[in-house]
Amino acid sequence: MMNTGLKRFSAVAFFSALLLLAIILSTGIGAMSISPAQVVAILLSKIGIHLPVEYNEGTAAVLWMIRLPRVVLGVIIGAGLAIAGAALQGLFRNPLADPGLIGVSSGASLTAVMLIVLQSSFPFLTDNHLLQFYVMNIVTFGGAIIAVLLVFRISLRNGQAVMSTMLLAGIAINALCNAITGLMTYISTNEQLRSIVFWLMGSLGGASWQTVLAVLPFVLIPLILLPRIAQALNVYALGEREAMHSGVKVGRLKTQLIIFATMAVAAGVAVAGVIGFVGLVVPHIVRQITGPDNRILIPCSALLGAVLLTVSDLLCRTIAAPAEIPVGIVTAIIGTPFFIWLILKEKKSLAI
Amino acid sequence: MMLEVEKLTVELGGRPILHNLDLTAGTGELCVLMGANGEGKSTLLRALAGEYPGYKGRIAMAGKDLRNTSIKEQAQQRAVLSQQLSLHLPFTVEEVVMMGRFVYTGTHANDKEMVQYAMKQLQVFDLRDRSFLTLSGGQKQRVQMARVLAQVLEVPDINGMDYAGKKILLLDEPVTGMDILHQQLSLQLATQLAQQGVLVVAVLHDFQLTAAYAQRVWLLKHGRVFSEGGVRQVFTPVNIEACFGIAVHVLDHPGVSYPLVVTAAGQHPIHLPTAAQAIKSF
Repeated sequence: MMNTGLKRFSAVAFFSALLLLAIILSTGIGAMSISPAQVVAILLSKIGIHLPVEYNEGTAAVLWMIRLPRVVLGVIIGAGLAIAGAALQGLFRNPLADPGLIGVSSGASLTAVMLIVLQSSFPFLTDNHLLQFYVMNIVTFGGAIIAVLLVFRISLRNGQAVMSTMLLAGIAINALCNAITGLMTYISTNEQLRSIVFWLMGSLGGASWQTVLAVLPFVLIPLILLPRIAQALNVYALGEREAMHSGVKVGRLKTQLIIFATMAVAAGVAVAGVIGFVGLVVPHIVRQITGPDNRILIPCSALLGAVLLTVSDLLCRTIAAPAEIPVGIVTAIIGTPFFIWLILKEKKSLAI
Repeated sequence: MMLEVEKLTVELGGRPILHNLDLTAGTGELCVLMGANGEGKSTLLRALAGEYPGYKGRIAMAGKDLRNTSIKEQAQQRAVLSQQLSLHLPFTVEEVVMMGRFVYTGTHANDKEMVQYAMKQLQVFDLRDRSFLTLSGGQKQRVQMARVLAQVLEVPDINGMDYAGKKILLLDEPVTGMDILHQQLSLQLATQLAQQGVLVVAVLHDFQLTAAYAQRVWLLKHGRVFSEGGVRQVFTPVNIEACFGIAVHVLDHPGVSYPLVVTAAGQHPIHLPTAAQAIKSF
C-alpha cells in the first residue's frame, strides 16, 4: 500500500514529465524539423543557460515566434478544458458531465457564428483585422457567459442551483443555441460557411503570444483556486445535504464551480473554437489512475488535458501537411477509443 | 436544555408535515423518534439538521437559535446520518470517513487518529482501503456511521472528554440494513456517546431496539408529538394502536429488562381488501 503523499507526488511527477515530453516533441516537429536537443537549447538560452548544441537564428525565430505560441496555447486551453470537466463532473456528481452540458460551447458557437455571418453588414469590422480579432473574442466569450448565466438562472430555487433542473435547462439552451446556429449556417455564403465549419471544429491556428496572454489569466485563476475548494468538492460527492451537514457552504461551492468552469472554457473557445472531448475524457482517465480525490484529480487533469491537446494539435498539423485537420476532430478520434476502452474496463470490474 | 423546539411548523409542497410541534431534550440523552410512515419523523430530523430554512417556529440548540447559527458552527455542533446516500465515486472507506473531519480542516492536528478510531469503533478498519462502492449495504451504513462519529469527536477516544452541552447527533434510521450484531453495536456506541454528554436523536422503526436503548421516546402522529416519555410510558397497546393502526401486546420477559412489543394480529386480523373489493372501490 503506497502512502498517499507519495502517490500524489508520483502522479503529478508522471503527468508533468509527460507534458514536458509532449511540449518538446510538438515544438520540434513540423514543416521545419528541430531536434529535441535544439528545442531544449533554444528554450534554455532564453533564460541565460547556453548548452553546447548548434542551431541557427532562423530556427530559433521559427520556434519562438511560430511553434511555441501555438504549443503554449494548446497547453493552456487543454488544461482549462480538463479542469472545467473535472469541476463539472464534481458539481453534477456524475463522471459523464462535460463543459458542453451547461451551455458554454453552444452559447459561444452561437455568437461566433452570428458574428461571422453578420459582420459583412458592419464594414468597419472587416476593414480592421486586429479589431475583428478582438471583437470576435469578446463576443464569443460573452455568448458563453450569457448561455451559462441563463442555464444557471433557470435552475435556481431559493437561491440555490438545483442540479437536475440545471441539466434540463442546459439541454434546452443548447437546443435553442444550436437551432439559431443552424439558421445562421443555412443563410451563410460559401465563404462564411468555411470559416463557420473551421471554427466549430476548433483550431489552434490563430495562436500568437497575444492570444496566449489573452487566454492565460482565465485559465490560471481557476487553476489556482479550484484546488482550494477540492476537499469541499470531495465532501459534496456524498450528496448536497450530507455536504451541508458536514460544514460545506453548498450554495457558494456550486456558484464557484460554475464560474471557474465557465472561465476556464470560455476564453479558450473564444480564440480556438469548440474543442470537444478533452473535458469529458481527461478527468475520467486521471480518475482511473489517481482515484476520485479532487485535490489530486484537478491538477493532474490540467496536466493531462494539456498533453492531450498538444499532441492532438501536433497530429492535426502534421498528418496531412501542409493542410491542417481541425483539432476538435483529432481530440475526438484519439479520445473516443480510449473512452470506450475505459467503459469496457469499468464494466468488467463491476461484473465480479 | 440542549434542544428546544417550539411551535415548529414545516410545510412541504404546500402541505404541513409538522404542525406546531413542541419538544425538548437534555444533554446526554438518547431519544428515539417513532411513528408510522409519513407522520413526519424524517422531516423533523431534517428540520433539526437545518435543511428547511423556511420553517416556522423556533429551533434552538444549546440555547442558540438555529437561524443565527452558521453552517460551519452547525457542523461543529451537530452531525447527521441521513437515510439515502448517493455516493457514486470510488472513494476509499478511509477517505469517506475522513470527510467527517471537513469542518475542522486545519484546526485539529490528530484528524487521522480520530478517523482510525472511528473506523475501529464501527469495525470497518480492515476495509479502510476498499472502494466504498464495493461494500454491501450494511457495511456502507457502518462506514457512514464512522464518518458521523468522526465528525462528533474532539479527541480520538469517546471516553476521552465530556461532550455535555456541546454535541448533537441526529441519526435517521441508522441501523437499516445492518445485521443484528452490528445493530446492537451501533446503538451501544450511541449509548456510549450519550453517556459522554452527546444528545442523540434517532429515528428507529424497531420496537425492541428502541425499548432496549432509548431513554426518551417521541411517538409522532399527524406532525405532532402524540406521546412522549420513557419506554414504559409510551409503549402501551393504546398508544401503539392509535399511531400504527395495529393491535399489539406489550410483554415482559424474565430475560430482558425492557418491555417487548408483539403484534396481536392473530386475534384481531388486519382486513386487507380482496382483489374484487379493491377493484370495486375504484
